[in-house]
Amino acid sequence: MGTVVEETRAFSSPGDARASVRLVDLWKKYGETEAVRGVSLEVQPGEIFGLIGPDGAGKTSTFQILAGVMPATSGVAEIFEKPSREARSMVGYLTQAFSLYPDLTVSENIRYIGDLRRVAPKEILRRSHQYLSMFDMDRFAGRLAGKLSGGMKQKLALVAALVAQPRVLLLDEPTTGVDPVSRREFWDTLAHLADDGLTIVVATPYLDEAERCHRVALMHLGQIHKMGTPSELRNGLGMKRLELRTENLGEAEDKLSGEENGDGVISDVQRFGDRLDVMVRDVDLGKKKIIDDLPGAPSPDIRVAEPTLENTFVATLRSLGQETRTPAFPGEHPHKDLRGQVAIHARRLTKKFGNFVAVNGIDIQVQYGEIYGLLGANGAGKTTAIKMLCGLLEPTLGDMTLAGESANLRSPAVREKIGYMSQKFSLYDDLSIDENLDFFGGIYGVPQAELAEKKAWVLEFSGLAGKETLITGTLPGGWKQRVAFGAAIMHEPGVLFLDEPTSGVDPLARRSFWRMINKLADMGTAILVTTHYLEEAEQCNRLGFMVAGELVTEGTPSGVKKQQGGHLLEFVVDNPQKAADLLKQTMDRWRVSIFGYRLHVIIDEDAETGKRDVIAQLSKAGIHVHDVREEAYSLEDVFIAVVEKARARGQFAEED
Amino acid sequence: MFRRIFAQARKELTQIFRDHLALLLALVLPLFLILLMSNALSLTVNDMPIAVQDIDSTSASRSYIDAFRASNTFRVISWPADRQPQEALRSGQARAALIIPEHFGRDLARGTQSDVQLLIDAADANTAKQVNGYASQITRAYQQQLGGGATAALITPQIRLWFNPGRDARKFYAPGIFVLGISMFPPLLACLAMAKEGEQKTILQVYVSSISAHEFLLGKILAIMIVAMLEWVLSMALLFAVFGLRFAGDPTIFIVATVLYAFCVACFGTLVGAAIPSQAAAIQAVSMGGFLLVFLLSGLIYPVRNIPGGLRWISGLVWGSYYIKIVRDALLQSGGWPAMYFNLIMIGVIGGVFYFLAWRAMRRMQVNA
Repeated sequence: MGTVVEETRAFSSPGDARASVRLVDLWKKYGETEAVRGVSLEVQPGEIFGLIGPDGAGKTSTFQILAGVMPATSGVAEIFEKPSREARSMVGYLTQAFSLYPDLTVSENIRYIGDLRRVAPKEILRRSHQYLSMFDMDRFAGRLAGKLSGGMKQKLALVAALVAQPRVLLLDEPTTGVDPVSRREFWDTLAHLADDGLTIVVATPYLDEAERCHRVALMHLGQIHKMGTPSELRNGLGMKRLELRTENLGEAEDKLSGEENGDGVISDVQRFGDRLDVMVRDVDLGKKKIIDDLPGAPSPDIRVAEPTLENTFVATLRSLGQETRTPAFPGEHPHKDLRGQVAIHARRLTKKFGNFVAVNGIDIQVQYGEIYGLLGANGAGKTTAIKMLCGLLEPTLGDMTLAGESANLRSPAVREKIGYMSQKFSLYDDLSIDENLDFFGGIYGVPQAELAEKKAWVLEFSGLAGKETLITGTLPGGWKQRVAFGAAIMHEPGVLFLDEPTSGVDPLARRSFWRMINKLADMGTAILVTTHYLEEAEQCNRLGFMVAGELVTEGTPSGVKKQQGGHLLEFVVDNPQKAADLLKQTMDRWRVSIFGYRLHVIIDEDAETGKRDVIAQLSKAGIHVHDVREEAYSLEDVFIAVVEKARARGQFAEED
Repeated sequence: MFRRIFAQARKELTQIFRDHLALLLALVLPLFLILLMSNALSLTVNDMPIAVQDIDSTSASRSYIDAFRASNTFRVISWPADRQPQEALRSGQARAALIIPEHFGRDLARGTQSDVQLLIDAADANTAKQVNGYASQITRAYQQQLGGGATAALITPQIRLWFNPGRDARKFYAPGIFVLGISMFPPLLACLAMAKEGEQKTILQVYVSSISAHEFLLGKILAIMIVAMLEWVLSMALLFAVFGLRFAGDPTIFIVATVLYAFCVACFGTLVGAAIPSQAAAIQAVSMGGFLLVFLLSGLIYPVRNIPGGLRWISGLVWGSYYIKIVRDALLQSGGWPAMYFNLIMIGVIGGVFYFLAWRAMRRMQVNA
């Protein structure tokens, strides 16, 4: 790839201002609707540029125009100074659905795309072999694309796009439904490709991914509102984040949220599993306010931290008048009196499919009023476990107690007490929203007298009030998820199972999801949730990590972080890719990743020793370290560490 | 150009051959259809039970009955002289009854008129008419056989059965059902393949590759044509083996017409798939178009001249009506090129129109907005 580097470096030489992607005052109208309203931006060769924004921000329209598959209404969209329509041969495009043919094998998919793009047959073979082995996928060359896991599909789509050797790569929400391990590998690959000179424009609803971009733009209702490097955006907010740990989070949240529209000291409150994040302009005033507002709390534990990209995102959207809506749930049958009792109890739960042990003797206990997060990579056995826990699947071994019953888990009496929202099937696409809600209200036995009120609540929660006659299939994914969530809780179940409820949901909507989940837990509902989005897992009260069918770690979010005892060091260095490649020779690959211009390294020993070792190693190779600091160790870092360490011990999830 | 067309066609064929259900639909179902429908679909009278009461019981009456027995049309049930023939009709044992009076043989020998009585169950008027016709024909033929005595009518119709000497209706219908099959299943596959690209959003990958609409469409159409030709080969094998059909003469126009027809129906399916982006709706449209138009208005079953005048012109637009003439000509009449070239041209013209419309729908190779 050496030649590629030189070639593209030439493009980015100081005298040459040739941008790889240039948008000037781009507009797109669909009839009356204005999807893109005057977007201008430039992306340089070798840059990873992130487009973030809520559903309906106009990200996909922008991508389709850039990919040359849709005409713009007005404005300029250029790839290397050519109109995007004529520059298609230079562009690789990963759509949200990956655009793979599920009934073709991996190699047939690659070959077809290569043929369409006039790559010489020999080159197709060579490159597909090269990329497949780079992604550790060669043994799946003969497998049907439809039978691959989400992470594999994503890699295949990337290989297919790379086969034509594009100079610009457009990725539209490429990691939806992809587990954290695969996601991290995917971003490592992107960093590598960008270092080779490939220009990457990526849309993502995940703000921790946006941290890995060189620059990001925040898009809302067809316009770009903020643009810059992630740290510029974070610092530009001019706020501090206070992490508040106290006894009764629900009560504290209610009190402090009331201040959001008050004297302006507190601008935002977000609840996590074992803390509240309070955004303030002035740290001292903020601290005082919190202590004043919570007189009952015995000396609350308040720590000062930097704002996250998500804070910026939410603050910006709020300043634009986009509010998260969490209307009060018309709960008629709270389960408060059950609080503290065990809702789900599994002992030595095991499921075998033939010789394959999908779930191996897990113990899980969830109480009423508790949010339990079950996390794991694809193939770890999460879905099998959740199916057994909610009584859909008979365990091979072990005992189960669900909502007070240990036998007849499929009886109507038990069914009525539980709610289940699965990621794949949730609503009937060909029914209207109203008809779907009527149907689910009917089968879950929502009393007729309450149905109208409940339906009105779901519509308001989804932001679809007045649009109930829309056909469900025409809704964007994020909105559909909100309706599905509403449909699953209309009957006020005592035990709620949520299988990746927020997959493909934008950050703002995700917040209202979690606010609602917390409300339900406060009302006494036991909630078991799976997610791929580990930032979100911080909002659970307790977490369980599954690897290869076993529960390997369990505890509160802070607890599991402590248990792992690792540190995250952030380095600012001359050449992040070179530094990363070097460090990966002596360290486990997963410990090193590139975040935009920065380098993240995870170490197990104490932070000072780690810093010294890494700096020594880098300066020996002539790489200059400008800055080092310790960053907050995220749940995702913990997760990757847990999974990778288990893999190193020989436990790993079979993809096949 | 050709590389991309072939790449497209290869991809389509891989998908079709991988989907066993689709393949079954395209190749095996038409064969079943031919076997099933050509036996069930018999609008001519065959094997009609007729009760015969032979009161005369002479060698003349017996040979007259033999004439009925020898026809494909009737199955003779001997009815005893002491039972009322009406009973046979009422009980449903027979659909018609023939009563041969006393002195039948004697009267014939004398050359005087003898009246035989034919009772027909006319609940089904159409069948009754046909029974009447066949019975009269058999009677006339029998009279002729007798040497055409002076009393026989001076003008006797010279009836000979052409093209289908055994009057085996299946030989007429089976090729028709083949046309129905080839008009329905390949376009069904084509529209599914097309609509699927839209539904699974794979079409975006195609758009971004700068393949032209012609290359894309021709690749898809080529693949469907190959499937249609396979279906043709299998269907012909069945028609030859089971129905005893053969090429009546020079088959070249038939082969050329089949390739052209395969193109025509593939374009039809592709057009529907391109115009209607949902698989379910596209299937409906193709079945309506392919099945109803070809089944009812192509002359496949009902002769085109029986269609009411106000609707008859539609049949002139139905692609199947031209192909069916060529198929029947090739297997039964052997009129060949001189008789059939017009039909060939019409198939080409209609196919061209379909292709043009499909190209118009796709030509921008962009997301419609």
